[in-house]
Amino acid sequence: MDVVDESDALPEDPSRTGDAIIEARGIVKRFGGAVAVDSVSMAVPPGEIHGLVGENGAGKSTLMRVLAGILSPDRGAVVVDGEELKAGDTRAALEAGIALVHQELSLVEEMTVAENILLGSTPTRAGLIKTGELKRIAAEALDEIGVSVDLDEPIGRLSVALRQFVEIARAVARKPRVLILDEPTATLTPTETDYLLDMLQRLSRRGLAIIYISHRIPEIFRICDRVTVLRDGRHVDTAAISDTRPQDLVDQMVGRQLALDLQTHRVPAEPGAVVLQARGIRAPGVDGVDLEVRAGEIVGLGGLVGAGRTELVRAIIGADLRSAGEVTVAAGGRTRRVAGIRAAVAGGLAYVPEERRTDGLALTMTVAENVALPNRGRLSRSGVLLFRKIADFALGLARTVGLRPPEIRREVGDFSGGNQQKVVLAKWLGRRPDVVVLDEPTRGVDVGAKVEIHRLVKDLADGGAAVLMVSSDLPELLELSDVIHILRDGRIVGTLTAEEADEKLVMSLASGEATVAA
Amino acid sequence: MVATGTWITQPVAFTSYQVTLGRIALVGLVALGLTAVILMGELDLSVASTLAVAGVVMASIDNLALGIIAALVVGLLIGAANAFLVVVVGINSFIATLGMLFLLRGLAFVISDEEPVRLSNIDAGISFGKPLIGEFTPRILLFIFTFIVMHLFLTRVRVGREFYAVGGNRQAARDAGIPVRRRIFTGFMISGLVAAGSGVINALERTAADPTAGSTVLLSSFAAAIVGGILLNGGRGSVFGTLLGATSLGILQVALTLSVVQVDVQNIIIGSVLFIAVISDPNSIRAVSGSVRSFLRGGSVLSKPSVDPKEATNNG
Ligand SMILES: Nc1ncnc2c1ncn2[C@@H]1O[C@H](COP(=O)(O)OP(=O)(O)OP(=O)(O)O)[C@@H](O)[C@H]1O
Ligand SMILES: [Mg+2]
Repeated sequence: MDVVDESDALPEDPSRTGDAIIEARGIVKRFGGAVAVDSVSMAVPPGEIHGLVGENGAGKSTLMRVLAGILSPDRGAVVVDGEELKAGDTRAALEAGIALVHQELSLVEEMTVAENILLGSTPTRAGLIKTGELKRIAAEALDEIGVSVDLDEPIGRLSVALRQFVEIARAVARKPRVLILDEPTATLTPTETDYLLDMLQRLSRRGLAIIYISHRIPEIFRICDRVTVLRDGRHVDTAAISDTRPQDLVDQMVGRQLALDLQTHRVPAEPGAVVLQARGIRAPGVDGVDLEVRAGEIVGLGGLVGAGRTELVRAIIGADLRSAGEVTVAAGGRTRRVAGIRAAVAGGLAYVPEERRTDGLALTMTVAENVALPNRGRLSRSGVLLFRKIADFALGLARTVGLRPPEIRREVGDFSGGNQQKVVLAKWLGRRPDVVVLDEPTRGVDVGAKVEIHRLVKDLADGGAAVLMVSSDLPELLELSDVIHILRDGRIVGTLTAEEADEKLVMSLASGEATVAA
Repeated sequence: MVATGTWITQPVAFTSYQVTLGRIALVGLVALGLTAVILMGELDLSVASTLAVAGVVMASIDNLALGIIAALVVGLLIGAANAFLVVVVGINSFIATLGMLFLLRGLAFVISDEEPVRLSNIDAGISFGKPLIGEFTPRILLFIFTFIVMHLFLTRVRVGREFYAVGGNRQAARDAGIPVRRRIFTGFMISGLVAAGSGVINALERTAADPTAGSTVLLSSFAAAIVGGILLNGGRGSVFGTLLGATSLGILQVALTLSVVQVDVQNIIIGSVLFIAVISDPNSIRAVSGSVRSFLRGGSVLSKPSVDPKEATNNG
């Protein structure tokens, strides 16, 4: 692709600017001293799906939050239909027809599906909520995206994937002219992703302008008309997708050559003895599962969202109560039963949960403090924390996982979504655990970091750890796993070795189209 | 639960239900106002002092109607001042309203010259204490009225419904375009207004405004809201729950008093009821039993079995 110099503040394609529905003009946004977005301009005409890509921390979410009026820029302006929008005014942005689906879920758990869909724009007469109207509009929005959920169900009872669709329904209910989606597929399985992408194409044909953020390059190539690359807060390039190759995009994102074909399956060493053994596991959503993981082996759990994978791993490690079943960990010449997670962690288990913001991190603590948490024993003497040691330790881990920026004294909550995930990983990797349980380990992580994290997981297994991994990312599942169990309705419906497995087979087992003797 | 228990042991609490209702209405009214603030994840410790200030303001003005209006306006202003400190200045609401608690109590003493202020229109007060419809005194009717208004406000009115969003997920509320600051102002002003209203009612019934009035009301009204199932982090609770909380605590207290239980013992019992109510909340009972079980098995109390972490840390 021709790399045009984009340092000036104008969109590269003047013919497009005239009919652009939304335009960012020279947006600058700083947090403290750090510049998160540095004079970025972009314009999107109606009916276009505009991809936005960049590494973790490149400034994608920040730029979108400026467009949606949540953040007010230090410089620059957002222009809708040729008119400048009032800076940092969420309502003004909503009224101008800009709807943002956030990277992190932003629903109110105690309120119902219908109330959440119309949060902030509840229909009223004289201040009173029009319940009939509320439900009608909510139902319409859900209909439009083709999802059926009980309108009166409190959000807190829905699965993560369903919540994601409720968020999208919320954006659609506002009848937006510009729809911004910040990594909407990070929590979805391939089938759901397919569904979402088709839906977006349908919406764009009706004249909606869509800005689509994803770390999954194939998705960008499948639905986008043009794509903008950000790096370190700066605009790198905007180009028509037809003039772009995936490799170019990745190179522009990371600013160097990244060998994607490094992502090959490792040759596993001869697997060792069984380390993690689970028998007859029953728990809510899990219906009698047996599995074992050997030293040096990576066992993958595939399946659709709601198949019971997260429930299964949480029951195995004792994070949730099991109604039946027994789990043992054999390490260091000892076999112990796993009852509660604390004992399990003390016994050398590492668990990276699915919901990082609630389960995995103390958001108001610094990176150093967070990674020190499960490693306190090693980093203290007679109960007193050794700060020098912690700093060295944290810095080493930050480098290993490629934290950006590598500032270990910064609060975790101030990092971009993908970088928060890296901190969760770093926290556990520092322990050299015997058993590693990963639930969606690279959700929201950029391509470069993903390669890094995959390398880390392979290293762990090569070092003799027993790895159990849930992943909805098929290429990841196939690349890392030595054995893949497919779950459906809380049961294992198929087991594939690395050689047998391919995307089609995994998907057809997961959806129940095919069956294999387990 | 508490009510039935009391009924078995102390039927007299029900025969003297006027006293009981009066007690429920006193604590319950303040608790209803508090509910609005707590739902948003904020606290208002200044309610009892507001009650006292409103009373003495009203009693210091000779014209009764004017006095009542002045008292209610004072309540609104106090609420607005609290909200200003919390929202604009950015002080944590516990601290801001704690400051107000002292400040207003002092103010009540200054205005009243440290003496109870007699109402100039004593007749109005005396007739105010008399049953109006059936056995219901105006205080009880006003309590029921406030309950209905608050219930409708929090379930049917958009502004009130959005209190749940502000308390449940403030960032989401903000992102959805809900004017969070304005909602918090509204909440504190409701709390101030209702507390001032209680002050007015108190002064009328006693035909005098005491600057020390309401000192026991503060914690009792919090207890009523908590027994009623409200989450101090915000986002969960209802005025119906608060009504139940106030009712059961009120009945309990009157029953204990009538059976000549000493005040300190009463407090011990009420404290225990508070614990039992919070623990037996169906939402937290699983969390608590899970924690206890895994604790006994040598697991962690910190891992919260299958319950939303917010609930477990609050109630468990
Ligand atoms: N509230 C905040 N306070 C301080 N710094 C912030 C804040 N929000 C974002 N940043 C910083 O701004 C930069 C850009 O972050 P942003 O969330 O926009 O990245 P992103 O491109 O969306 O990344 P990801 O792919 O991981 O979601 C990062 O360095 C981040 O640490
Ligand atoms: Mg982001």
